[in-house]
Amino acid sequence: MTAVGMTETPPTIGMPRRSFLKWSGAAGGGAALVGAGASFGIPGVGAANAAAASPITGADSVAWNSCWVNCQSRCPLRFHVKDGTIVRVETDDAGDDELGSQQIRACVRGRSMRQRIYNADRLKAPMKRVGPRGAGEFEEITWDEAFDTIAAELERIIAEHGNEAVYLNSGTGTNGGAIGSRSSVRRFLNCLGGYLLSYGTYSTGAIQIAAPYTYGTSPSTNTFDDAVNSQLVVLWGNNPLETRMGGEAFVIQKAKQMSSTKFIVVDPRYSDTASTVGDEWVALHPGTDAALVAGMAHVMITEDLVDQEFLDTYCVGYDEEHMPEGIPAGNSYKSYILGTGPDGVVKTPAWASQITGVTSAQIISVARQIAGAKPCAISQGWGAQRQMNGENSARAVFMLALLTGNVGIPGGGTGDRETTYNFKVAGFPELKNPVGTSISICMWTDAVERGPEMTKLRDGVRGKDKLDTGIKFLFNYAGNTIVNQHMDANRTSKLLQDESLLEFILVIDNQMTASAKFADILLPDVSNVEQRDLTAGGSTGDLGYVIYADKAIEPLFDSKPIYEILTELAKRLGVEEEFTEGKTQDEWIDELIEATRKDTPAIPPNEEFRAAGVYRQNNPAGHVIPLKAFRDDPVANPLKTPSGKIEIFSKQIWDIAHTWELPEGQRITALPEHIVGAEGVEEARTNEKYPLQCIGHHYKSRTHSTYGNVPWLQEAHPQMVWINPADARERGIENDDVVQVFNDRGRIELVARVTPRIMPGVLSVPQGAWYRPDKDGLDRGGSINTLTSWNTTPLAKATTAHTNLVQVEKA
Amino acid sequence: MAAELGFHFDQTLCNGCKACSVACKDKHDLPVGVTWRRVAEYSGGTWQRDGNTVVPNVFSYYTSIACNHCEDPICVRVCPTTAMSQGPDGVVTVDQDVCVGCRYCEWACPYSAPQFDAEAGHMTKCDLCADYRSEGKDPACVAACPSRALSYGPVEELRAEHGDLAGVEPLPDPAITRPRLVITPHRDAQPSGSGTGSVANPEEL
Amino acid sequence: MHTAELPMIVFTVAAQMSVGAFVVLGIVQVVAGRKFAAGTVEKMTDTALYAIGPVMVLGLIASMFHMGDPMHSLNVIRHFDSSWLSREIVFGVGFAGLGFLFALAQWFKWGSARLRQVLAGVTAVVGLCLVFVMSMIYYTLETVPAWHTWATPAQFFATTFLLGSLAVGAAFMGSIMWRRRSAGGAELDESTAALLTGSLKGVGLGAVAMLGVEFVIIPLHISNLSAAGGAAAESAAVFSGVWFVARLVLVFAGAGLLGVFLYRYASHAKDAGVRMLAIVATSAFVLVLAGELIGRSQFYEQMTRIGM
Repeated sequence: MTAVGMTETPPTIGMPRRSFLKWSGAAGGGAALVGAGASFGIPGVGAANAAAASPITGADSVAWNSCWVNCQSRCPLRFHVKDGTIVRVETDDAGDDELGSQQIRACVRGRSMRQRIYNADRLKAPMKRVGPRGAGEFEEITWDEAFDTIAAELERIIAEHGNEAVYLNSGTGTNGGAIGSRSSVRRFLNCLGGYLLSYGTYSTGAIQIAAPYTYGTSPSTNTFDDAVNSQLVVLWGNNPLETRMGGEAFVIQKAKQMSSTKFIVVDPRYSDTASTVGDEWVALHPGTDAALVAGMAHVMITEDLVDQEFLDTYCVGYDEEHMPEGIPAGNSYKSYILGTGPDGVVKTPAWASQITGVTSAQIISVARQIAGAKPCAISQGWGAQRQMNGENSARAVFMLALLTGNVGIPGGGTGDRETTYNFKVAGFPELKNPVGTSISICMWTDAVERGPEMTKLRDGVRGKDKLDTGIKFLFNYAGNTIVNQHMDANRTSKLLQDESLLEFILVIDNQMTASAKFADILLPDVSNVEQRDLTAGGSTGDLGYVIYADKAIEPLFDSKPIYEILTELAKRLGVEEEFTEGKTQDEWIDELIEATRKDTPAIPPNEEFRAAGVYRQNNPAGHVIPLKAFRDDPVANPLKTPSGKIEIFSKQIWDIAHTWELPEGQRITALPEHIVGAEGVEEARTNEKYPLQCIGHHYKSRTHSTYGNVPWLQEAHPQMVWINPADARERGIENDDVVQVFNDRGRIELVARVTPRIMPGVLSVPQGAWYRPDKDGLDRGGSINTLTSWNTTPLAKATTAHTNLVQVEKA
Repeated sequence: MAAELGFHFDQTLCNGCKACSVACKDKHDLPVGVTWRRVAEYSGGTWQRDGNTVVPNVFSYYTSIACNHCEDPICVRVCPTTAMSQGPDGVVTVDQDVCVGCRYCEWACPYSAPQFDAEAGHMTKCDLCADYRSEGKDPACVAACPSRALSYGPVEELRAEHGDLAGVEPLPDPAITRPRLVITPHRDAQPSGSGTGSVANPEEL
Repeated sequence: MHTAELPMIVFTVAAQMSVGAFVVLGIVQVVAGRKFAAGTVEKMTDTALYAIGPVMVLGLIASMFHMGDPMHSLNVIRHFDSSWLSREIVFGVGFAGLGFLFALAQWFKWGSARLRQVLAGVTAVVGLCLVFVMSMIYYTLETVPAWHTWATPAQFFATTFLLGSLAVGAAFMGSIMWRRRSAGGAELDESTAALLTGSLKGVGLGAVAMLGVEFVIIPLHISNLSAAGGAAAESAAVFSGVWFVARLVLVFAGAGLLGVFLYRYASHAKDAGVRMLAIVATSAFVLVLAGELIGRSQFYEQMTRIGM
């Protein structure tokens, strides 16, 4: 209820005319500084030439572009521009409300884009650090000084430590553009002799490494459109209604409406996916997925509900009769479940219920439903695998699809995340990285702290037995992963104070993020609407598309597109010709459009495409059904596993388990077993200091940390911690109370949402809020990564961001 | 006589993303604190614990509400200045040249439709995007909803197609203002006045 | 304390006190007119009468701060046929205007005494209508259960007479003390003393009686709200805690204890000393005024609307 007298003074927007006039003045100033290299003056290009004007907004032009962040969807947006200023943002206006020809409507985030473009946090000019790292104390410098300093540092560090000392940090603030993206940075660094690579992502670290051991690749699973062919859909920690609210949410909702198929949602939270498309909710303790699957597998095996023929034909390792050579008896999956393996524990529903919190009755019921539904579509989100036991959680969920023989058929699936149809959109050639070495993406702080100590067998270094140097130059483009989206922000923050370790931090971004405050040199990038680009479509089921990402306005302030920034650096480092091949950004885009049209001639030529904005194309094959060829003919189309089959027991992992050095308490298993690990539910039950599990769901108001500073979104979806009424009552916490969540790694302050929608004993802090420590180290931004650890999973060395024990109290 | 317009809202589809609300803000340049379309989360239920296992019996659903352009608009009734008035198409608007900003309508409206703009000192509210409608376009919120949970049109047509339910928690008894609103209820929707849950996000309304 | 509605708190309390004081003065005049000379009565009542004007004006000015756009203030009477708020403004201005006219008439002794009495009567009726209309603004909001109850008009009228009578008592003592000082501390003449004694006894009795009424309204209101559940029960939560207790204590101390003291001291005005009487009367008024202001702030704080 709106309390009378509570209205706040409006920030940024809400005083449109006055402030916009100011902005356009500033933008004009900035535009004058854009060099001839990025000539936007070629005929027919630029906002002023856009065909469609809006009689309603009084706009001079309407330019197509997109919301290009990292939610997996990528929604078309139309920018209404008046006097060089965006006055309104609309979404796709073509298409209809039917699956396959749908209008691709942007979610709340895309719709708030104006406040991200014209945000008070926009970086205005190049700056150099004048205070301690992270303090955010900067002084403006000229572009020339910035370029000279960066070029000199890059040259010096490469000369002293080699290219392996240069690292391109994770960042997805510009996801999808061809030129205005990380591709440009990779190409630039490759021109200089390369950089230390990373494998995995913060999103998919464990499943991405684990899935190929089972399937030979990361197969993904059938598109959501294909749910119309299912008898039952199981969304295992998969939450498209909160994470991919643009393109994908519509697909799954429409498929559900068209088929009235039953949906079961497995999640510690009663997510919005559960409340909309879900018909049954299974609430389990975080990190116990493999145990829950084992309990269900026990039901399927003992009640003879498994698809034995499928398992015999397509899989290895299910039973003792189908094991790789040289493996001792008792190591098959069936032996593990029936308690005839090394641990001697029968994985009954009762056993699973004590670990997971799910009742035996529901475990039995859901197992029978999954086994009884022919076909059954099982897909998993990526939350379950961001746990200490992430690889096994991911592979365990695959087991449900394997035991029931649902792989590679319409209405079925692999148990991986759903896929989307897309056609080839040409990208900026990144060239080859001569440095072949890579580390796990979330271990870059380890590589700063103790790089030369990191080895292949202990730290998962790839391409080399050990690193020769620590990271000395951090190239951070359009990313907030220095502190905000990397684990244990307080520890990272402290590490970066030592300038003898990480010698130079370059941040290029368009917002003053929590990470940008750590820059030694900070450069202002443009937003995607201030440059012209080409962007592939996002996750929208079986509808593929490509967006003409038009330039709507001139660069704001004294910002420059990344291509121009890198060109200037390349010039100083003697690689301009290799980097640009003598072409401007526009010339590259023209080329990429033509290259894309070569593959898909139906895409209209440049100017027509520009006016249309989006070119869409349905999947000619109907629905994407991964591993269909293998299912149809496993001999002719073997998988890329050593056996060519689906490996329930992985001999490769078995070998790794016997050679790698692991921290105490960690285990790698060839079967997807439940493993009791640090800060899991078992420890929570006996830990008096930190008795609550804390996960960090993706929030509707942000894509990771992008959009985290948009006032409209902060108002629509304020940062909060979810807590069950039982846990709240014990601590005297009421809904909307300000609370502090803490453990030994840090302490955050935020508002409590006391809700039965989260299971008792579990908290969830939506990830991505901007880290904002006060002088006492209390994070008033409420970033989950103030509470997370650098701990990694045993096999993939992936993040364990959802494995945290904490306590909460009233502030 | 012009057909009287209203909204239809399908509760079964709404995931509470608030694209409707923010699209409205973008369209009308509304500052933080002035929200013409609001989304309430109504949730409740219980948990049973037995040792280490728990059994949830939990529900949650969203309701997106702008102005219902009521048949008996309480805001118009109580307005001392006549600034709040209803057109022949049933659309309730505020005359900015007349409104004194006394906020009596804000007290009265059980949907929080009139919103006070502190800068102007006047009440403001949804006009069903009169300008868009005059161009043959849908109101911004309707065009925004990724789930297609919102539609609008002559209320008689909406009622013929979707029924005439408008009394769902946390909405008030429709007898009070007779809203031109049709709700397709969520499976867990509870009738107005008999709810067992509560509004989970009162600060966002 | 909830101060978001400060302009409304000041306006409603000031206006109700003004109406109450005006009516109480009328009663004093009518009752005392039978026993005492007109000059004696008017000498005491007129000062109080003139004091009402500034209070009412203060209230009206305060109400302007409630408006988001005071430049449009004249529009507020345009919806008289439908809006209780329009009616409030009309009756508020009407009461103030008539009261001002009456005060002028008293000052300049315009017209006959009878005519002035009729004018006073009309003013009092308009004033009482004002209090009723004010209460209807809140009472008719069926969307606010805590206001949509008989307790709203009951409370408004209780405030009117409680504060009105104590204000008159305090004003009488103020006027007497001022007169005594200008007269060099001379004793009161017999009839003035008797008039004062009688009036203060009436004020004391009235205050105790209205206190009784208030202390019936408050618990009934709270229990009704709690029993109704929903938004009403949320409203009931306001009536707890320090401010609620402070309000009860202030009103009880002012109207109850001091009312009784006032009644007893007034019976022995000469012995007790006028000074003591003045202190008691003024303290009673100040304590009750503070209590009623807190009470009114809680009246606004309890506003919890049904719906969303």
